[in-house]
Amino acid sequence: MYGNWGRFLRVNLSTGEVKVEGYDEEFAKKWLGSRGLAIYLLLKEMDPKADPLGPENKLIITPGPLSGTSAPTGGRYNVVTKSPATGFITMANSGGYFGAELKFAGWDAIVVEGQSEKPVYIYIKDDNVEIRDASHLWGKVVSETEEAIKKEIGSKKLHIASIGPAGENLVKFAAVMNDGHRAAGRGGVGAVMGSKKLKAIAVEGSKRVPIADRQKFMLVVREKINKLRNDPVAGGGLPKYGTAVLVNIINENGLYPTRNFQTGVFEHAYEQSGEAMTAKYLIRNQPCYACPIGCGRVNKLPTVGVTEGPEYESIWALGANLGINDLASIIEANHQCDEFGLDTISTGGTLAAAMELYEKGYLTDEELGDAPPFRWGNTEVLHYYIEKIAYRKGLGDKLAEGSYRFAEMYGHPEYSMSVKKLELPAYDPRGAEGHGLGYATNNRGGCHIKNYMISPEILGYPYKMDPHDISDDKIKMLILFQDLSAIIDAAGLCLFTTFGLGADDYRDMLNAALGWDFSTEDYLKIGERIWNAERIFNLKAGLVPERDDTLPKRFLEEPMPEGPNKGHVVRLKEMLPRYYKLRGWTEDGRVPKEKAEELGIAEFL
Amino acid sequence: MLVKLFATLIEFTGKRKLEVHGPKKVRELLDELDRMFPGFKKELEKGYIILVNGKNIEHLQGLDTPLSDDDTVSIFPPAGGG
Ligand code: SF4
Repeated sequence: MYGNWGRFLRVNLSTGEVKVEGYDEEFAKKWLGSRGLAIYLLLKEMDPKADPLGPENKLIITPGPLSGTSAPTGGRYNVVTKSPATGFITMANSGGYFGAELKFAGWDAIVVEGQSEKPVYIYIKDDNVEIRDASHLWGKVVSETEEAIKKEIGSKKLHIASIGPAGENLVKFAAVMNDGHRAAGRGGVGAVMGSKKLKAIAVEGSKRVPIADRQKFMLVVREKINKLRNDPVAGGGLPKYGTAVLVNIINENGLYPTRNFQTGVFEHAYEQSGEAMTAKYLIRNQPCYACPIGCGRVNKLPTVGVTEGPEYESIWALGANLGINDLASIIEANHQCDEFGLDTISTGGTLAAAMELYEKGYLTDEELGDAPPFRWGNTEVLHYYIEKIAYRKGLGDKLAEGSYRFAEMYGHPEYSMSVKKLELPAYDPRGAEGHGLGYATNNRGGCHIKNYMISPEILGYPYKMDPHDISDDKIKMLILFQDLSAIIDAAGLCLFTTFGLGADDYRDMLNAALGWDFSTEDYLKIGERIWNAERIFNLKAGLVPERDDTLPKRFLEEPMPEGPNKGHVVRLKEMLPRYYKLRGWTEDGRVPKEKAEELGIAEFL
Repeated sequence: MLVKLFATLIEFTGKRKLEVHGPKKVRELLDELDRMFPGFKKELEKGYIILVNGKNIEHLQGLDTPLSDDDTVSIFPPAGGG
């Protein structure tokens, strides 16, 4: 088999047992790898109703067939598990170098099962796998953890994925961090790792990923790299300004969520834009493994020194969404989140909900005591509460439950801007209705990555669509994006390659690496299979489509108050039944037997 | 009208914002900007996002979108992220 090794590690932390398991090419042709392999294993082996923080949940850490190859951005990996935030599946994705290194060590995945009694870390050097004591690492922040393990093992090649105090303390939006500042952020995967008392996974490998036709692969890869380099976004705006180049664009288009999504226009957007960051703080770009784009930022600040990030999403979540404009404070807060191992989007979303509850008088000064008040724009809130959340201290203990549960405690869950209890990212759906349908139907809840309709609706990729068009064409585009994202994740590539590459380009690279002659449709079928399998997992986990495939009331009932989208809501009710139909699902959003049979997953129904 | 420029266009022109009077259509505005900053239109050859009062001209009348003096026009080179 090529691309994949056809083998993965199964590590049981309850028993200390480590096993090697395999699969064949037929299996790879059905699931491709990574996100595909992971959902298969979860459906096959786990009760979807299991407690996400209990020993039955599995944590699957998995690069894809193109990870560790020279394919552009081939360094990504997924962390797939049942989310403690949503109670449904989550597949958090991260770049850096860890995913590639895991591949070099000869593994397609690590399946972590059970729960250890005391803190441990896993050390993998090619075929050697050790479960080591991590008592001395427990409590350490991410940079200290990485440093201590590197010192202990004494290898320069080492790449580490770990959790910070947030994961240890089971914060519902704790991230798994790798290479310092790269995060598999969404859905609380860090808390699952913490529940298993697994502090870190340290990997070094010396193998070369098997490629079917190396010469052909190199030619194809070169062609795709050129395409990316010549693309004005992937080769221009992204490397120059980072993802934060979006701040101004999204704000000028009137969908930059401000003060917990009360409006879509932020008066101070420019001060926190990619343009401003580049002029003031940037010292260099930081590409992930094999990435010709290099959107990562390295900034320097007097307070925290040299630090990576923040991304567009983090700037917004810790900035405009809290009414905060001071970029230095945002960079500092982002650094704190990285060190404690917190997802920046959910951290910001939860603080924003608290700010609105405070504004409306449901959260009172009495309860806050000496802590800084949750006033819009108050930067003190950032530094104070990020730490309190990570350690679950004081009010931080409640905030650590995420915006939905927090707002619910105060009797007003409607102030949580979340879908399936996952905090929404930086696009107000009243300014991009197809993107709103994406939020409502995403398998992991309110996320933008797996259905980035901002591309056609705002940026014009692959072509421009009216953000307020809700025709079947729009819905078909969303379904295509969802299935294609599943393939890109399963392949082990970065979604930003879609600025520059199309479905056929992924087919070319995969075929050359894997030695197959699949058509683009064949690959999209795998994407559809993965999407449907995840949906089945969610339905079995307790998803009720009529309750859960929705958006916060604000977007359905409160028209956007100002800006270019003034007066608009999301017409979800008009789109959702057509989405179900175009997906081939039942009227009430379930995967019917015929669809499951067509995709070869009827055994999971 | 107020013209806002972003990303590489700021570097190209040395300006983030400027007032322009006269052009009746987006097309004429671009001509005017090209006169003020020679090569401006060439900068947009790889693509652009032009908004008039926050609305993309693709959903208005394209380069023929009419302009009046109290409009705000935002011009971006192609961009993406996430
Ligand atoms: S585009 Fe950015 S996030 Fe994606 S692989 Fe490259 S540097 Fe990493």
